[in-house]
Parts: sequence; C-alpha cells; structure tokens
Amino acid sequence: MNRKLLYFLVSIAYLILISYGLYSVYTVEATLRVKEPPKIKLENKIAIAHTEIFGKLERPQVIFNHGKHEEAYKKEGCAECHPEKDGQVMFAFPKNLKKKDKTAVMNAYHDACIDCHKKSAKKEKTGPVNCGDCHKKQEKTLVVKYPKAEFDFYVHDKHVKKLKEKIGKDDCGLCHHSYDPYEEDETLRLVYEPGTEESCYYCHELGKKRGPELTKITKAAADKGLSIKEASHQQCLNCHLKYREDYLKKGEKDACPTECIKCHTGEYRTLVQLEKVPRPDRDQPKRPLINIKDAKLKGVPFDHDYHQIASKTCRSCHHETLKACKDCHDLTGKPEGNYVNVARAYHDVFSEHSCEGCHNVKKAEKDCNGCHHYIAVVEADSLGPKDKSCGICHSGEIKGAFSRAPLSVAGLDPQKVPNKVKVEVLSKEYEPSEFPHMDIIKKLVDISNKSKLANYFHKDMQTMCEGCHHRSPAEAEVKKDTPPNCRNCHTITPEPRNLDKTTLLSAYHRQCMGCHDKMGIEKGSSVRFKDGDRCGACHKKKVAGPAEITRLKNDNVVKQNTKNILNVWRPK
Amino acid sequence: MDRRTFLKIMGSGVAGAATGNLLTPGRTPASEVPLGKEFYGILVDTTRCIGCRRCELGCAEVNGMPIPDIAESKTEDILKTLRKTSDTQYTVINRYETEKGPVYVPRRCMHCSQPGCVAACLVKAMKKRPTGQVTWDLNCIGCRLCMVSCPFDIPKFEYKKAIPRIQKCNLCWDRFNKGALPGCVEVCPTQALMFGTRKQILEEGKRRIATNPDKYVDHIYGEYEVGGTSHLYLSAVPFEQIGFRKDLGTVPYPEYSTGFLYAVPFIFVLWPIVMLGMNRATKKHEEEKHEEKHEEHGKH
Repeated sequence: MNRKLLYFLVSIAYLILISYGLYSVYTVEATLRVKEPPKIKLENKIAIAHTEIFGKLERPQVIFNHGKHEEAYKKEGCAECHPEKDGQVMFAFPKNLKKKDKTAVMNAYHDACIDCHKKSAKKEKTGPVNCGDCHKKQEKTLVVKYPKAEFDFYVHDKHVKKLKEKIGKDDCGLCHHSYDPYEEDETLRLVYEPGTEESCYYCHELGKKRGPELTKITKAAADKGLSIKEASHQQCLNCHLKYREDYLKKGEKDACPTECIKCHTGEYRTLVQLEKVPRPDRDQPKRPLINIKDAKLKGVPFDHDYHQIASKTCRSCHHETLKACKDCHDLTGKPEGNYVNVARAYHDVFSEHSCEGCHNVKKAEKDCNGCHHYIAVVEADSLGPKDKSCGICHSGEIKGAFSRAPLSVAGLDPQKVPNKVKVEVLSKEYEPSEFPHMDIIKKLVDISNKSKLANYFHKDMQTMCEGCHHRSPAEAEVKKDTPPNCRNCHTITPEPRNLDKTTLLSAYHRQCMGCHDKMGIEKGSSVRFKDGDRCGACHKKKVAGPAEITRLKNDNVVKQNTKNILNVWRPK
Repeated sequence: MDRRTFLKIMGSGVAGAATGNLLTPGRTPASEVPLGKEFYGILVDTTRCIGCRRCELGCAEVNGMPIPDIAESKTEDILKTLRKTSDTQYTVINRYETEKGPVYVPRRCMHCSQPGCVAACLVKAMKKRPTGQVTWDLNCIGCRLCMVSCPFDIPKFEYKKAIPRIQKCNLCWDRFNKGALPGCVEVCPTQALMFGTRKQILEEGKRRIATNPDKYVDHIYGEYEVGGTSHLYLSAVPFEQIGFRKDLGTVPYPEYSTGFLYAVPFIFVLWPIVMLGMNRATKKHEEEKHEEKHEEHGKH
C-alpha cells in the first residue's frame, strides 16, 4: 500500500515538472510589449502621490479634483488653501508645512483636507473624511499627466498687446527679469533691465545648464525651489488672478484662465500658423555677416530674420542664453561654451542647435529625403568637404546672398538630357521600362525651388543631377559631352572583388524604389500595395515570358561567370 | 594487500581511465574552424528587401518544389499573415508593421555554426558541412528530434508523405558544389541577400552599420546568437519588432547537452570496470583465505 502511494506521488511530481517545462517553453513571448498605464480625462484633476518623499506608497494615491475646489472657494480665493508671500499666492500645498519628511507631510495633508471637510460639513455637503474615500483603490494605477503648456510667439504677442492696452505703455518688466549672482545685496539681485529679456527656461530649467555663470543662477533658482513649473505657475497665475475680475466684468470669460486644461491643452501651433506672428524685437541683427576674428574661412551672410520665422522658439538655436554664438564659442573654446569651439558649434552634424545639425534634420523630411538619404552623413564627412560646398555659405559678402534665382529646366540640352529613357538591357521576364527622365527633373526642380533652404544650397542644375547620378564627377561628364550612364559603373553580373558593389538590376530597383519610398510616392514604392500591381507600375510582365529564372538553360555565359566568382571566393 | 592485488587494482583503474578518454574526445568549437574551411553564409539586409517574393520563386525552382504564385494581387493577401517555412517552402517572406513602416523579412534556415539539429540527429542525417551548410540526407528516420532542437523553428516534417522525412533549406548545397549561387541570392533584384564567407559578410555588415549609423540598429543578428549563425541579418528597427527572438543567448545549443552526454560513457563504461576491478580485488582475498584454510586442513 505504501509503495503504491510512493509511486503515485513520484509520478505526480514528474507530471508537474513536465507541465511546468512545457508551460515555460510555450509562453516565451516573441515580442516584448510594455503595458501602457490607463489614462483618465484630465478635467483639472491632480494626482497627489509625493513618491519623492514617501517612496513606495502604503495607500493608493489621491486623485484630487482641483476644479471642484476652485469652484467652491470662488469667493474666498486661492489664499484659503495656498500660502501667501509678499502679496503673491504661492502655489504650494498645504499651507503650514514646516518639514519635508514622511510624517510631517502626511499630517499636514490630513490636517488641511480633513479639518476643512469636517468644518464645512456642518454648513453644506462636502468632501470625504474616511481614508478609503480619498485613497481609492481603483485609482491606484491611474496616471494624471498634463501636456506641456507652450508659450509660443502667438501667445507672447497677445500678452504684449493686451498689457499695453491695460497699462498704456510697453513694460516687459511685468514678466521678465534678470538675476545678477554677483550683486552683494540680496534684495537687489532680481532686477529688470530693458533689452535683456530672455525665455524663462534659460534660468528656471534646472540641472541642464553649463558654464560658470549660468550654473550660479540656476543654483539660486533651485535653492528657492523655482523650477520651470513652479516659476511659471507663480508668475502666470498671480497675474491672471489680478486681472481676471476686470475681464469678467467686460464679459470676456476665457481671458486670464486659471484652470489647468485651459493652458495645458496639448494642442500646439505649427510653424505655418506662427509664420505671420511678429517675433519679439530685442534689437537682434536682421541679416548680419557672421565674421569670426582670425578665422581662416570667409564670413557667412546669415538671414536671421528668416531663421526666426523658421523656428518655433529662440531656444532652438540659442540653447542656453540669448547671446550671439561667438560670445560663448570662440576659435579654441572657452568655459562659458563648455570648451566647444566655434567651428564645432556651427558644424556639429548631430547637434540640434548647430547650423548643420538642423539642416540635416530638414534634409530628412519627405521631399528632400529621396535624394539625401543616399548621401550618408558620415561618408560625406570622411570624404572631406569639397571646396565648393564650403564656399556656398562662406562667401564673405552679403551682396546678393539672400536672393537666389530659382533653378530652371529651360537651359537643358535635349540631346544630352533625354526626355525619356528606355531601360531595356536587362529585360527578360518584363517589358522594357520607360523612365520619364525629364518629368522627374522638373518635379525635383519644382520641389527645390519651393524651399528656401534647398534653393540656397542647390546652386545649379548639376547639383540636381547628382541626386541620382551620384559619385560621378559632374564637370567631367559635361566636358566629355556624354551623359553619365548607370551601366558605366554598375555591372550586370556581381563583381567578385567587391561584393557590395551594386549590380545593375539592384541599382535600378534600389535607386528608384528607395527614392519613391522616402518621398512617399505610392506608385512604384516597395511598401505600398494599394495599386495592386507594384511591378507593373514601371514595367509590364511579358505575356509569354520565361517562368524559369534560375535554371538559366541557355545562358552559359552567366553560369560560367557565377562559377568564376565562386572560385574567387573560395580560399586556396 | 600483497603485490599482486595492488597491481590488479591499479591495472583496472588505468584501463578505465584510458577507455574514458577514448570515449570523450576533445571538442572543437566552431570558433576554431581550421583555416581554409571558412563557413559560407548569406547577409540579409532587411532595409533593402522589397517583399517581391522572388526568392521564394527562385528557391522553389532550384529545389523542384511547387512554384508559388508571386503575382502582386496574391502577394498582398499572403503577406497579411505571418508564415512559417514548410516542407515545400524553404524560404518565406513576412511583413512586419514597425515604427519605421512595413519591413519585409525573408526567413530560412539560419545555418548555425554549431547547430542543435545536427547534435540531436540520431542517424547523422543532418550534417554541418565544412563549408558551413547544414544539410540533410536521405537516411532520415523521421524522428523529428531536430524540429524540437531548433531555436528558429526551421526543420519541417513531410506529414503528407508515405515515407516522411525532414525538409529544410540546405543553402543550395548541390548548386554550391557545381559553382552556382544559392537560388534565392541569384534572383534577388535588390541585392538584399549577399553570399560570401562568414568573415566577408560579417565585415560587410559592420561596414554598412558604421557608415549609416542612423539607418541601422547597431546589431547583426546571428553574429553571436546561439554561438553564431551563417545567416546574418541587418535591420533598421529593433529585432524583436521583426519577429526575431532576443532570448536565445549566445551559447550554442549543443553545448547545453554535451557536458552531460560526455559523462554518459564514463558512467556506463568506466564505472562497471571500476566496480568489477574492486570486486575482483576483494574476491581474491577470499580465495586466498580459502587456500589458507585448505592448507590448514592439509596439515591435519
């Protein structure tokens, strides 16, 4: 009896082992997916968790309906809950929080909320006093995150105009100030000096700035707890509270909003919408010639006006202060510029703030990427820049730099530049493909003319040809009077000495389809099937074409070639 | 213990050790492939593949399998589902929707440098050729152990045949010996597939990544996975997005079992010999005692 029981137990144990093994084999996920936490409608709610103080929470977070409380305290005002300092409301909570440790914060919150709820419960219907009514289990994993509010040039312009109406004069000092860390008298450090207005981000975005002076300023801001969030809430909301009543009397309900979702809309204006909005004037140069003292290359004429319109913030180029580039970056680099020299500052390929970095981002856009994705950034760098490409920017004179004549196809010789090209050398299963050479040139020229950037850098028609006829010395081709041909370089059979060298078949397919892909042209691209027949977009299938493509029955030459290639590859 | 017993014990020990050595020969890992026997393979650049399914057609033709219909209208329907290789299709193209748009991925046998299927084969029908191809022979008994051992789910069984065998891509072993490229490589219209020695294609893959850092993810799938494969993949998106397993590790699959398997002969052969030796040694002692007793009897 005992033995039977033992056998039974052992077999059960084995069964468990086997099923566990099978389970672990079959539940291996092929793709890793991160589960997104659920989101709620924002509706002026705030999630109170303070994980920076509490760490792991004992009870679920509290989703606090700020909108409801605002409504309830309309008469009393914000100061009922938030502390006041120098006549300004500080948007901190609770009012009397002395220490920032676990028990102190917990008690302060409980005192502030529950006391108030209890007190007003006598008069009217009010909020909960029991733990579970605020710390709701079902709200444990909710994420309340407001999208960033963007104070773009449109909003800035609106504020400037409205405030001028109110006060009767331009006073940027209402919002802007600067901080002098070297001033000994602390009360005098925060001043407003006309002509030094900058974005709030420069000083209040903490932990990102470099350089000795900026670090001092941001440290002072950090000590006061004025991150960009705190500083902008304090600055904007206090002013809004001050003027809201006036507008309400006039019947303008939406003016001076204080609700979260009015500013944090999550909708941002595009560059096109901001195009007509005037940029703030701070005596910036309009079209300067950027000249670095003792530099070897000539100066660069720079259209600052146009670049202002082409970017959403000043910060996209002036990344840490609103000074000229050469103030922090000189020929050898200095501490203010984090030892980045001026050549690097303008030419860094991967930076968001340098000329070349930003132009590279533009080149990756749909219209440009057709040609430019073949021109690898790294390769272009290692080949060494051509003289003529430096000279496009480094011309040394402003005259005529800002108005380039658009390119035109009128001057092209139809003998050299054919209207249509028939691609038929490879034709076997498919009919020859008819390539609309001139139509493509016209389209590309059209795209180039529309963009100011492209129009400036595509100096002549030859540049346009190099998009497809790549790596061919265009000048030589023109002199010889023979149009560059794909077959000149790309052979029909694989090149044994250079395995990566593109064969003619693959050169055609990759060049054409790659460009169609990148430019989002549906016809003839590799990724889209909408038209049904992708191959037919360029060449029709022969009605009675050979089905067998690999047996190469009568193609002894090709077979011999492949054999030779393999013999070369084989080690001796 | 006298001299004779001692020698017997020592003798059986030495004999056992010698047998054990014979049965556990030195292992040659794939990384130490002797010079002149470089593995061949294919570099697959998924950024170049246009999903024309021409390699499927080429493969079917050279291997005498049913010709797939690669007409565009059919292709769109077929690409909607993720397919696996089958006994009549050694290579398939799948389309994956990724963060960078649709990506086409041709899949076929990876031709591992140290293949699990070869180690698992009972009758040595599956072989790793000195030039890298993992091929199968007709003496397959249909045990399907190779199917279980393959991390890429490649060997497929001919369930519909009377005498079923395993079928999979053999990197066109016959064509290779005749001096022709694999069927799929030869017909690819965009050179998404590149044939060459493993060293060559690995260098080429690294060169492409180095010159286009924004285009590719910095990883060649198959360089280290399961101890290296002869089929290498380049991609613009992380490999888990285009159906590759990232949990395979870099240890060749046979390595997981060789340690244990090499211990088996030791237990079955050496251990009985040792026990037998011990047994003989102790038995002799008894016989001697017996003789001594006999002598005592004789005296009487």
